Amino acid sequence: MVSVSLGFYISSRPNIAKYVINVASIMMTIPSLALYGIMVVLFAPFKLGLGIVPSISAITIYSLLPITRNTYLALNQVKPGTIEAARGIGMSNNQILWKIKIPLSIPVIMSGIRIAIVMGVSVATYASLIAAGGLGYFIFAGIGRANSTMVLVGAVLISALGIGVNYVLLKVEDWITPKGLKVKS
Amino acid sequence: MIELTNVTKKFGNKIAVNNFSLHIKKGSLTMFIGPSGCGKTTTLRMINRLTPYDKGNIVVNGTSINDIDPVELRRNIGYVIQEIGLFPHLTVFENIAIVPRLLKWKQKKIEQRVEELLELVTLDQSFAHKYPLQLSGGEKQRVGLARALAAEPEILLMDEPFGAIDPINRLKLQDSFLEIQEEIKKTIVFVTHDINEAIKLGDKIAIINEGNLIQYDNVSKILSDPADEFVESLLGQDRSIKALSLEKTKDFIIKDGFITVSNTESSENVKKKLQDNDIRLAFVLDEGNHLKGRFLFEKPSKTKKQKFIYDSDPWIAERQNNLNETLSKMLEAGEKQLPVVNRKKEFVGLIRLSDIFEEVNKK
Repeated sequence: MVSVSLGFYISSRPNIAKYVINVASIMMTIPSLALYGIMVVLFAPFKLGLGIVPSISAITIYSLLPITRNTYLALNQVKPGTIEAARGIGMSNNQILWKIKIPLSIPVIMSGIRIAIVMGVSVATYASLIAAGGLGYFIFAGIGRANSTMVLVGAVLISALGIGVNYVLLKVEDWITPKGLKVKS
Repeated sequence: MIELTNVTKKFGNKIAVNNFSLHIKKGSLTMFIGPSGCGKTTTLRMINRLTPYDKGNIVVNGTSINDIDPVELRRNIGYVIQEIGLFPHLTVFENIAIVPRLLKWKQKKIEQRVEELLELVTLDQSFAHKYPLQLSGGEKQRVGLARALAAEPEILLMDEPFGAIDPINRLKLQDSFLEIQEEIKKTIVFVTHDINEAIKLGDKIAIINEGNLIQYDNVSKILSDPADEFVESLLGQDRSIKALSLEKTKDFIIKDGFITVSNTESSENVKKKLQDNDIRLAFVLDEGNHLKGRFLFEKPSKTKKQKFIYDSDPWIAERQNNLNETLSKMLEAGEKQLPVVNRKKEFVGLIRLSDIFEEVNKK
């Protein structure tokens, strides 16, 4: 949600967009484990250092880039001629956004969301290290006890979750794409 | 009616449009022509306030456009640009219906209007549910025209609408566009960089160069009396042949000298009918008045026996073509007379080479 609205905001402000996308790209390069560390330190003063809050924050920051960037690109890939025509026949800015820009960019925005969520699944694995639980628990607990079955169960479940979520979201993406963009002559 | 008075537009220090004054009559087709960057598109875009102007005034139907809300103004002015203007996620129906929907028309009325418009631009009703990606360039352009006409605007602005179409289809589109204009009689401002297009379509031409309005006049006046060297070079060497293109085929259609027969009649019957009436030419039509073929008695000569010929796919001239085009068709076909059809391919009459020559000699 945060990222999509950020993407909308920067789509018409190319100067700000440059910085936002750069900052988001830098965030992506921080190793996910380190990001959890940073979050724990940042939230510690509020007595929220461990558990669900820092994990969700970390995942949000990670998903920032793919969603923001895709939203930004999606809104800007709408052909200028299409928007020019819309303005020329008397559509207001709001109507152009809702009736033209959004339907034409929804597939690309959606694929950004899909990438972010699938990535979030794998990043969330580490969440168990800061006491947020989740399927990652099996892997780290398994490693700690030298129990390879437990590690395997965790790994398989997480992979299955990732693949499943990806598949479902691909279907959603296809369903949400306007029919006119899918037809071939 | 559109009235521009001393309109000036600057982009930075560059003067894009320099002190334009021109009056565009209701129901007329005015062409803006000039090289790229001369200010013709800028002028067009100022009329529907897509580009604001710096000085002067533009009045549309008695009201200064600055006193009209731009969105409101644009809904009452049709706007056609090169083919990219269609919305790819909407069907042809939805594309055409977009302005009526903005104006909150009733669904029934919209459906009726779309049907009418598809007919007007000679697209089959089945196109309504196709998407722009499934259309050819020419079909897209027809839909674009239908969309611009949807809310029955009095004025139509067209910015190089046929620019991206291949030459053969462009000629066809021009023909049907002229025939459509004859039916709808809108006030049209049409930007082009093709002088032949300007001569063929325009009632009046405004010749623009480097932001200045060089000449604004009737097409025949421009051809016979170019204002300066720039206009002359734009018109090219073959001005007198171009002048022939001002005459329309439809004005030379004759209704005698042939008979028409139904496609159910036997050739013996036709032969007899022709001999009885002492006529050498018969056209075969189906129930829809479409030309299906032609019977012809060759001219009697001393050396050969007169032949009776049937031809199932005769050469045709199109009603909306100008004399220049029809003449070249006759030369190509080696015929001294051609049947004429309208854009719905219905037979409307005959045109003869001798009548064209007579017209040329008059000049």
